[in-house]
Amino acid sequence: MNTSVLQAQSVTKTYGPTVALAGVSLQIAASEAVAVMGASGSGKTTLLHCLAGIIAPDAGAITLHAPQGALRIDTLGPEGRARVRRQHYGFVFQQGLLLPELTAVENVALPLLLDGVERRAAEAEATHWLHTLGLAGMEGRRPGQLSGGQQQRVAVARAQVGAPGVVFADEPTGALDSRTSAQVMQALLQTTTGAGRSLVVVTHDEQVAAVCHRVLHLSDGRIVREQHNTPRPTQVAS
Amino acid sequence: MRTASHLTLLLVRRGSDTSRASLALPVVAFAVVTALALTVLGGARFFFTIEGDLAAFYQSLAALAVTLLVIPLLTLCGSAARLSARRRDQHLSTLRLLGAPTHTLTWMTVLESTLLAAAGTVVGVLGHLALAPLLGLLVFHGERLGAGNILLGAAGTVLCAVALLALAAISSLLGLRGVTVSPLGVRTRQDVPRMSLVRLVAIGAALGAGLFAGQALQIDQGVVATVAGMVFTFGLTMAVLNLVGPWLLGVVARVQVRRATGRHAAERLLAARTVLDSPKAAWRQVSGVALTSFIAVFAGVGLAVTDAMAGSGASSQEDALLLADLRTGIALTLLISFVTVAASVAVNQAADILDRRELFASLERMGMPLLGMDRARRRAVLSPLRLVSLGSALAAATLIFPLAGIALLTNPLALVTTALLLAAGIALVWLTLLATSPLLARVARES
Ligand SMILES: Nc1ncnc2c1ncn2[C@@H]1O[C@H](COP(=O)(O)OP(=O)(O)OP(=O)(O)O)[C@@H](O)[C@H]1O
Ligand SMILES: [Mg+2]
Repeated sequence: MNTSVLQAQSVTKTYGPTVALAGVSLQIAASEAVAVMGASGSGKTTLLHCLAGIIAPDAGAITLHAPQGALRIDTLGPEGRARVRRQHYGFVFQQGLLLPELTAVENVALPLLLDGVERRAAEAEATHWLHTLGLAGMEGRRPGQLSGGQQQRVAVARAQVGAPGVVFADEPTGALDSRTSAQVMQALLQTTTGAGRSLVVVTHDEQVAAVCHRVLHLSDGRIVREQHNTPRPTQVAS
Repeated sequence: MRTASHLTLLLVRRGSDTSRASLALPVVAFAVVTALALTVLGGARFFFTIEGDLAAFYQSLAALAVTLLVIPLLTLCGSAARLSARRRDQHLSTLRLLGAPTHTLTWMTVLESTLLAAAGTVVGVLGHLALAPLLGLLVFHGERLGAGNILLGAAGTVLCAVALLALAAISSLLGLRGVTVSPLGVRTRQDVPRMSLVRLVAIGAALGAGLFAGQALQIDQGVVATVAGMVFTFGLTMAVLNLVGPWLLGVVARVQVRRATGRHAAERLLAARTVLDSPKAAWRQVSGVALTSFIAVFAGVGLAVTDAMAGSGASSQEDALLLADLRTGIALTLLISFVTVAASVAVNQAADILDRRELFASLERMGMPLLGMDRARRRAVLSPLRLVSLGSALAAATLIFPLAGIALLTNPLALVTTALLLAAGIALVWLTLLATSPLLARVARES
């Protein structure tokens, strides 16, 4: 639990005159769930994008401790960062952003298929995750035939198929009611921290933050407060 | 009305790169429709001025070519209208939610799409003027056509442009119904308004236009009746094809979904699912080619056999000229039909990419290779296109099997030419698809 998987040191990012990140340092441990909170425009999404290698920071170091060894992702080019995202990270966005013409199982299998995994194996893996997330029997449905919460759980399943070390979620429950939101969070925790993966979740929702191990409060691009949650959330074995 | 005009101009002026691209697309589409429609009508008019024994024959051929081209052109016009309607949906339903009154929305819709169509029409007229000298180089009846014989003339041009503008205004009004009925309904991206009514209107308009053109040019009733009969027959064939085509594409796509394994499983699966999601939309994009390639083979074989027989006997100068003209006519019709399909593919693809910009951006963020997505998109168009063009060509060849066999033995060159034309058409669409790839890359990296 104490080995760090992701480390950021004095990360800064500016957009023209706007300072989005003003020197952020943090560590994320294996199997840890970290929530990032803060007012709108405080830099949450920017931080998540830097940690995830979606954008490169202006200064500072971001180190990923992958099974193969430490990797400085801030120094990688666009191609290298894309490979890191594909191989080591999983993502869940506010809206599921599933492909509307593919079935649930095909949507979940897509990252594997694009990586050259055989169709049958890919769909078997996808089916496993859909079952784990309580979506058995819905494998053949299209996103349009699923509720918002179900779509979001399909997106959660899709974030797991590549066996990522860290899963990033930007307001994954932002479009859901509180009960559905709790279900999706439960699903996210179960499939990440419950399976030895780390979770970084940006949220405005106190309840979502409450089930994470740690909450980072951001203001004007700085971490102004760090809060450890006890009791720890129940970890569901998978 | 003042408010509406101000709002429209505001929304047109303010906008990101991609929303400006979605403004430009309908303009380009209307320009292509206008340029081709004017050129086709202008060229057809020339054939109605030919005198002599074969006048009626040339006239029916010209009418046939116009009929074949009117449907894909109207499809393209419909795509352009759909595209601008889809774009407007987002603005309008937001304004509707904010409580804008119906007449403001109606006026805005008609104003915006007519403005876009008008801009496209102006560009299209210029395109027609530029195309005329080029097509004027073609040889018909042993002589160069000359630009003057292709230009439609001021009156005809204005008439045609006004008709196209009216069509744009009507289809935008039809597209608005969804917004007026339910301000929330159009917010869901899945249900793109179907334009079946527009298609009905379009077919009616085509029939009417044919009859009207006949009357206006004062051809004797015999020819008008022949042409009307022909237009009706093709209308009917097209209607039947419109029922069979989507079904067939659906069946093939279902098989392809199951067969999508191996190295390119992702893109094959995605392409097949795209077609299966809406076989009608897939069909609409390529249907223009169906009848054209059918006729091309039919006529190609006919020409080859006639050629072979004429070669053995003594052939008159007149016959030789006629055969040459037929060959040019077929090639030209096939070419214009493929250009129209390519333009319509470009518009639809660009619209699809813009519609799904968030999805593509999210896939890019996950580090998914966009190349695969891009290939899937291309395959989803090319696969039906190949099926439809080769399928209807084969169907034609089977229908006249003995003749096709003779032609293949006695005059293989003529058939090879037809095959090459088909291949060139498919290549044209493929190039168009390639041309939309940078847009996908840009959309994925933006936002
Ligand atoms: N691409 C960009 N170009 C210019 N400025 C940007 C860009 N992205 C973010 N910003 C600015 O950086 C600051 C931080 O933005 P960020 O998206 O990280 O905020 P956030 O905390 O995620 O807000 P929210 O809760 O509203 O999502 C904001 O002031 C924003 O305007
Ligand atoms: Mg944000």
